[in-house]
Amino acid sequence: MCGCFVSTLDEFSSGRSRGGGGGMADRQEQKLKDAEKWLKKADKLTKLSFTRWAADWSEATPLYEQAGLVYKTAKLFEKGKHCFEKAAIGQERLSSQWTAAKHLETAGGLAKELEAWPEVADLYKRASEMYMFCGKPQPAADALVRGAKAIEDSVPDDAIRMYLDSCSFLEDDGREQMAFDTYRAATNLYIKQQRYADAASMLLRWGQAADKCKAIQSQCKAYVSAILVYLYNQDLKAAEQCHNDCSQVDAFLNSEQNQLAEKVLQAYRDSDGDEVMYVIKSSKTLPHLDHMIVRLAKQLPVGGLKPVIGPSNDDLDENDLT
Amino acid sequence: MSVTDLLTRAEALCKKYEKYDLDKKQDATVYKNDRFMMLYTTLQADLEAAMQKANDASIEKNRAVVATLNAEVRRAKAALKEQIPKLTKYAGKKVKGATKEDLALRPDLVLGLVAKIEDIPDGVVAPRKPVKGKKGKGAAETIKIDAMSPEQVMSGSQNQSSEESSSFAQEADRRKAKQDESLEVISEGLTTLGNMAQDINEEMDKQTTLVDEIDSKVDKAATEMKSTNVRLKETLVRLRSSRNIMVDIVCLIVIMSIAAALYKIIIDKKAKQAATTTTT
Repeated sequence: MCGCFVSTLDEFSSGRSRGGGGGMADRQEQKLKDAEKWLKKADKLTKLSFTRWAADWSEATPLYEQAGLVYKTAKLFEKGKHCFEKAAIGQERLSSQWTAAKHLETAGGLAKELEAWPEVADLYKRASEMYMFCGKPQPAADALVRGAKAIEDSVPDDAIRMYLDSCSFLEDDGREQMAFDTYRAATNLYIKQQRYADAASMLLRWGQAADKCKAIQSQCKAYVSAILVYLYNQDLKAAEQCHNDCSQVDAFLNSEQNQLAEKVLQAYRDSDGDEVMYVIKSSKTLPHLDHMIVRLAKQLPVGGLKPVIGPSNDDLDENDLT
Repeated sequence: MSVTDLLTRAEALCKKYEKYDLDKKQDATVYKNDRFMMLYTTLQADLEAAMQKANDASIEKNRAVVATLNAEVRRAKAALKEQIPKLTKYAGKKVKGATKEDLALRPDLVLGLVAKIEDIPDGVVAPRKPVKGKKGKGAAETIKIDAMSPEQVMSGSQNQSSEESSSFAQEADRRKAKQDESLEVISEGLTTLGNMAQDINEEMDKQTTLVDEIDSKVDKAATEMKSTNVRLKETLVRLRSSRNIMVDIVCLIVIMSIAAALYKIIIDKKAKQAATTTTT
């Protein structure tokens, strides 16, 4: 009896002396063991076998969630992802798609750490579908944007598609104002990939959305950015056409951004490179545009200025009957 | 009083009593051969029209209409001025049917016409210098009212070029340049502020819808809370009534224990009495 007493005293004191670090490691080990236990239990509950004809998701789901949390904090991503996916399925069976979608997003985040890109995209898309099922397009769009951001460095095409889907969700719902950030992200991605025509068309789409919600500042900025992108792409004709189209809009016609656009285009028409650089440098509205656009603009004129074969010459030829 | 003034006055009077001027009516046919007089009369008519337009412009309130009228007046004045050299040429020619005095007067008539053209107000923005002297255009021999215009007075002193005044002028220019620089800086700052303000405005518009949604959802939650509270209150009230039952039970127990104690005392007394009777 005395021996027992002494041994317990020893344990107690040693526990105290080991202090914080040792205690934490112990606790973490304990937690991991618990998580293993929960995972095993939940798997048993859900696996269909001879004795069990229906999976018991209502019991298993909380176990999966707890285990998943522990693995997440312990940075065991593979197991955590697995747990969260199962938890999501469980919540779906329990017909709470909202929670299921949230678990799928968490799983997607963990998959990103694992750099399993197709899985990441897949998980985020499934999450967004669940949100749409709940009738909430805003979180659905947000989920797609988060997924796109996660994979944009490695699989840019998928990312672009997710951005576009997100934009169309919001446009359909009539809440384009929330889509501005998405447009911006998509445009920047296009520019990074040097798909300038696509970038310009995205900017015009942004301008259209801004027009619908009367965000005139954003609209003008988007239009002048589109013109600058066309010029960077050495497509003067497209830039001029774009300018003509945009000038139909009163709000743009009277704006400072339009003045900048006109000056730049005039300098291009005069084939005066120095004038272009001067206009860009001395403009007050240019620094307020998106930083990627500013970077492009500072590099204008690109590729030398070819003498402009504008439409005016064509008219002369038509009228010249000699 | 200059010749031009005399001429204008005379003309005004003549016009007033034109209908009594039989000579003029007779001479009207003669003017067919007299190119000077024909041109003179047409120019006079145009001058009248221009004057009328200028008067309309001065009383008109609408800025755009004023601008157009002024532009027309200016055009008319330019056209008239173009015709003046031709008129002077005709003035020099000899024409039969005109008296010697008439011919002598013609150059003066031309000058008078020129002066009248200049006098038409055409809404030129630059304020006319107050004392410039009557415009004696094209004839240096005409009488000038002021020997020296204020400009000539000023330029005369500048020719002396005192050091003080030139350094003053330089200082003024430098100060102006500095002010321009500062104004540039201010304007840049204002542009930035303006842009930021517009961006903030758009953010606010975005968030207004969100806040409205939150508002309605919170209202719903609040009403649910209220109903839950009421139900909770009812449940508590019922519980309290059950507490009354508890109080009753406690009282019963107390009474029963007292009764039991009394019963015990009575039994003891009876036992004692029984004990005393057996001993006796």
